[in-house]
Amino acid sequence: MAPCNFWGKLVTVAGYEADDTLEQDAQLVQHCLQGDGSAWEELVRRHTRRIFNICYRFTGNGTEAEDLSQDVFLRVYKTLGSYRSAHGGFATWMTSVTRNLLIDHYRRTKRDRITDSLEDAMPVVENKESAGRRPDQQLLLGELSSQVQTALTKLSPELREAVILRDLQQLDYNEIRQALDVPEGTVKSRINRGRIELARILQQMGVRPS
Amino acid sequence: MTPMNWTCEHIEERLSDYLDGLLSPDERHAFDMHANTCENCSQMVASISHLVSDLHSIEQIETPPRLVYAILNQTLGPRAAKTGWQASFGWLRGLASARFAYYGVSVAATLLILLMASGISLRKPKLADLAPGNVYRNIDGQAHRAYAHTAKFVSDLRVVYEIQSRLNKDNELPTAPESTVPQSSPGKNPGSTDGSKPATPRQQNRANGIGRELEILATEVPVVSGQLCGRLLGRRIP
Repeated sequence: MAPCNFWGKLVTVAGYEADDTLEQDAQLVQHCLQGDGSAWEELVRRHTRRIFNICYRFTGNGTEAEDLSQDVFLRVYKTLGSYRSAHGGFATWMTSVTRNLLIDHYRRTKRDRITDSLEDAMPVVENKESAGRRPDQQLLLGELSSQVQTALTKLSPELREAVILRDLQQLDYNEIRQALDVPEGTVKSRINRGRIELARILQQMGVRPS
Repeated sequence: MTPMNWTCEHIEERLSDYLDGLLSPDERHAFDMHANTCENCSQMVASISHLVSDLHSIEQIETPPRLVYAILNQTLGPRAAKTGWQASFGWLRGLASARFAYYGVSVAATLLILLMASGISLRKPKLADLAPGNVYRNIDGQAHRAYAHTAKFVSDLRVVYEIQSRLNKDNELPTAPESTVPQSSPGKNPGSTDGSKPATPRQQNRANGIGRELEILATEVPVVSGQLCGRLLGRRIP
């Protein structure tokens, strides 16, 4: 595995890095399926940040994002045998698993959010914008990132996931289509509507684009 | 869809295709035609374009350090504790890093400098050299020798600098070529001159003084200033 990493770092020519990563992932999955624990550890280290970011952007909550990330990897670990590289990259497959778990989580916690929103409507001495996020988290994210995060949580889940995958994870349309398992036209439409809606929410929040 | 019939709805519908470069040249032309003439659409395009640019500039959030270990514990189970010789020599793995090698070289170089400063001979090391009294004497002697060398070097440099500055001053003074040595008064008129400035006795004395100083310097500082003075005076000084 070590030589694999070494050559992966050496290959920096644009256009070849993605293919190289795909190939490395495929090899690591093969090693995992043969019972190599270190290969699994390497896969976890390579993808944890990306999965955690998707979960965090979707939920807007660090603790929930950590729990969901663990659930994603647990499910991937259990269903690794069902992954077929012919159907797409490992990262796309993981994104698809993440997305399904996020939607499940969204539906599961919908009742809680309705209760929360009713409580939010009551007069409380708290900045609505920073509700649910600690000051240290806001510092970590930066102002723009924090504002975008607040606006994202106001989008519908379909539009939110499309914008997160396209503009924050910078996946291409085909990868998003595979991850969401919807036609490309639907992907384009969701991204477009998501961007327009997000701009409108930010404008309402008084955020001016840089 | 011809360029003439694109409406605001079309612009909104195809906005992301436009920003992501997915429009054909004809469609792009039609898009620009409408967006350039419609103030609302123009503002919307600028707004979404800036938003996308902002979103792309947002950096990924750092993963909490415990997350990876939590995932590995959940999937692979708690890490098995190493036993036997692996546990005894496990710490050696941390030494095989570039940072540790750098630290090691730095420490070795520092020790070498300290040993040289304390006067310990590396060719013939003796146990007596490590006695505190000997170490102190060696360091004291080395420090005095270093100070004396430095003071001598600075003194030499100062002398050379003074000579150079005096010679420069001398060169700046107007010199009188032999052809301008005062001749008999032009027109045989007593008291009248030809306007030239002959060398004064003061300048002559100064030049003679510098020459003597150079010779004294050459005897006092034979290595550094001997070559310089010889070069300046145009002769070899013993």
